[in-house]
Order: sequence, then structure tokens, then C-alpha cells
Amino acid sequence: MPETATEQRQAAIADPGAAGAAEHRLRAHVETLERRLRKRDEQRRAMLHIMGDLSEFNKRLANQRKAMLHVLADYEQDRRRLARQTERLDSSRRALLHILQDSHQDKLRLEASRKAMIHIMGDLRETTAEMQRREQELRDKQEQLVQAGKLATLGELTTGVAHELNNPLNNIGLFVGNAVDLIELAVTEKEQIVGELDHAMQQVSKATEIISHLRTFGRAAPVSREPTSLRDAIERALSLMREQLRLRDIEVTVDLGAEDPVVVGNAIQLEQVFINLLTNARDAVAESPRKQIRIAAAAGGGAVEVSLADSGHGIPPGLERRIFDPFFTTKEVGKGTGLGLSITYGIINEHGGTISVVSPPGEGATFFIHLPLAPPDPEETDP
Amino acid sequence: MTTTMSVLIVDDDPALLQALPQALRLRMGGVTVETADSAAAALERIAVQDYDAVVTDIKMPGMDGLALLAEIRTRRPDTPTLIITGHGENELVVRALRGGACDFIQKPIDRGYFVAALYRAIRAHALNRKVKERQLALESCAEELERLVQKLERQPRAVPGPAE
Repeated sequence: MPETATEQRQAAIADPGAAGAAEHRLRAHVETLERRLRKRDEQRRAMLHIMGDLSEFNKRLANQRKAMLHVLADYEQDRRRLARQTERLDSSRRALLHILQDSHQDKLRLEASRKAMIHIMGDLRETTAEMQRREQELRDKQEQLVQAGKLATLGELTTGVAHELNNPLNNIGLFVGNAVDLIELAVTEKEQIVGELDHAMQQVSKATEIISHLRTFGRAAPVSREPTSLRDAIERALSLMREQLRLRDIEVTVDLGAEDPVVVGNAIQLEQVFINLLTNARDAVAESPRKQIRIAAAAGGGAVEVSLADSGHGIPPGLERRIFDPFFTTKEVGKGTGLGLSITYGIINEHGGTISVVSPPGEGATFFIHLPLAPPDPEETDP
Repeated sequence: MTTTMSVLIVDDDPALLQALPQALRLRMGGVTVETADSAAAALERIAVQDYDAVVTDIKMPGMDGLALLAEIRTRRPDTPTLIITGHGENELVVRALRGGACDFIQKPIDRGYFVAALYRAIRAHALNRKVKERQLALESCAEELERLVQKLERQPRAVPGPAE
């Protein structure tokens, strides 16, 4: 270009007419140049802007890098923490695994225990059935024992009762024989014959009374419980024993007070209690100079206390408890079964009562029986 | 044998004291029967009367038949005593016989046996009594004779016998 501009100026010098044209062209050229210069300047400025922006950007980048470094450090820390946590988790996992294993074993053991339990349950069921069978057996045996006890009591009574029966039988024979004689002698007074036969009848009813009492006593009946008069039980026992006590000169005093204590129980068994105690007292006073048996009763506070005291030799110290043991006897061989007092103890126990004995040295023995009174009969208490 | 016999029956059973005397009155003619309901009462009667026989039960309250028997043996050794025992009480029977009982009767009482035993006892008693009476009479006779002999021996031979 400059070559062209120079050429043009030379051409302009060479040709003045041409010089104007050349100038014009030059001017245009300068303008173009100036335009280009401005443009370039603009571009430079734009570039400067861009450079500034870049620098700004660069700074920001650096900042971001620094931030990134921080982030990286944080990340690193996090990563380490995570690693530690992973480790911890791992050990927890392992522990958990152990626990799981243990629990599995526990479960196995539980299963085994459950099976064992089922076996035990089966055994238990069998045992329960066996127990029930045994219980039934025991009940049967107990009833047999009650019966055996009554028979034992009867056995101790036999001698006296035989004597008691022999007397009315003997008298019957004599009265009837007299009647026969009167008829054979052709006695005309009928009253005399009837009188003899009446006497015989009285003796028959006396014997019948004894026999029926013994039969009631010895009968194997279910042991029922009903309101029972204690006075009646004592009177019945005394009626069976009276002859034996009378023949031995044993004085019996009975003081039951004004009222009639009623207990819930079995009349026969309660009678048995007093027969046993009277038999015991009868033998206890056998060698005593003063033969006495005292029966007393006092009711109060929903219970009745019956005491039976004898004037016998008493119970040697230390034996007060043993006398209620079965087959324990201080009597000679063949004299006592050793069952009487143990049967008595059993009966009183079954009736919800207690029996005890007091025997101060040098005095006779006193048996105390506590029995709960029967609840009052509403019909009787009504005025 | 005396025509009126007296018997004492001792027992604690009032029915027997009714039946037995009646049986005796019916079976034994001319017998007087008295009763006592205890050994003590029997001893009171014995003190005032000599019975031809005493019949006592062996089992009685208070003094029993054996003790009564012993008392009778000391107070009236000649009175025959019969003992009533229960059936099969052999030991008591032996003790009674050793104690001087004349016989024993077992319950239940067989009237025929009882009456026979009582008759036997009474007859024996009566015979004993007769023997004693005769013996006494004989003794007195013998004494009389003795006295006569002595008297005769003391007399001088003033009256010569025809033989001399």
C-alpha cells in the first residue's frame, strides 16, 4: 500500500491535475486507516476487557481451587471418618453376626428344651393320672381304715358287750322257763304267766338295743357329715361302756352344762372318739385307789371344748405326743391295739378340731378336744 | 332234811333277782328265797340268818362274788355257797372252787341243773348239820357214859354183884 500511496503522490506531483485526485485518494486512504485504527483500538480495548475478565476469572478460579482444596481436605477427613465408621460398622456387624449365631444356638437350645418340655408334659400327664389313681386308692384305703378303726374299737369293747348280752339272754331263759313251769303246773292265774313273759320281753328289748347299737356302730357306711349333738355322742358311748365301768367301780361324772353343743360331723365317729377315750381311761384307772372319770364341756366363741379327765396313773413325761401314734401302746402285749388314740386323733382332725393331753406328774391324764360348733340353724334361732 | 329251806341269792341285776327266785319257788317246794343286790347287803343278811345255801354272781361292782365267798367262809363256814359265772370263765370257776365254793353255775342258767346243784348243796349241808348234831349227841352220850362209869368205879363194893 505505502508503495501505492507513494506512487500516487509521485503521480500527483507529476500531474497537478492528477495531484487533486491523488490527494483525494490519499485522504480516503487516511480515513480508512483511521477507521481501521479506531477499530483496532476498540478491539484492543475489548481485548483489555476480556483480559480483565479473564484475570477476574482466573482469580475466581484460584479462589475456587483454594475452596476446592478445603473441600478436598474436608472430604479427606470425611473419608477417614467414614473409614473409621466402616471399621466400627464392620466390627458391629461381626458382633451382630456373633449375636445372631448365639441367638441361633439359643433357638436350637430352646427347640431342644421345648421338645424336652413336651416329653416332660407327657410324663407329667402320666404322673397326674397315676397320682389320681393313687389318690382314689388312698381314699378307698382310708375308708377301709375307718372301718378297721371301728372294728378295732369294737374289738376292745367285745368282752364287756358279751357280758352285757349274756345277762338279758340268761334272764329271758329264766322268765320263759318260769312261764313254761307255770303252764305245766296248770296254774290258773293267767296274770302270773303273762307277767313272766312281759319280763322276758323287756329283757329281749334290752338285748335288741345293745345289738342294734353295735350293728349301727360297726356298719360300713359312707362317712356323712351332719349337725350332731355332742351330748348324744357322749351318752351313746357311755351306754356301750356303762356295764364295764360299773363292774370296775369306776365313777363317771358328766357335766355338759345347760346347752347342747352341736357340731358338724359324723355321729358314729364322734361316738367312737368317746368310746376310745373311755376305754383308755377305764384301763388307766384300773390300779388306782380312786377310780374316777370326769367329762365336761364348755362352748364359746364358735367352738366347744370337751375335757375327759381320769384319776389314773397319768402319762409318763415325754410320751404325751407319742400316745397319738398308731400302734403305740403302754399296755401289755395283747391288752391294747395301740390304735384307739391314733384313730381318735384322726377323727378329730377330720372334723377340723384338735386333741391334746395334759398329764401333770402324780395326777391323772386329761384329754382336751376342741371342735368348731355347727353354724346356728336359722329356723331354730328364729323366735 | 328240814321242810323249809332258805336260800339267799346275790346279784346286781334286778331282773335276775326277779326271775331266779320265781324259778326256785316253782321247782323247789317249800323254799324261802331272799335276795340281795350287793355283796355288802348279803353280808348284812348272813349276819342275822343262817341260810341253807347262798347263790352269788361273781361279777359285781364293789365287793365281787369271790370276796363275798371268802367272807362267808370266815363268818359262816358251814353255809354252802354257789357261784354264778359267765360262760367260759374257767379261770374264775377254778378260783371260786379253790376259794371254797360248793359248786358253780354258768350263765345262761339251766334251771334243771341249777335246782339239782342247789338241792345237792342243801342236802349236803343238811346232812353235814345232822352229822354234827349226831356227833354232838354221841359226844354227850359218851360223856354221860364216862361219868356213869366213873361214878360206878368210885362206889364201894357194898353191893355185891350176883356173879360174885
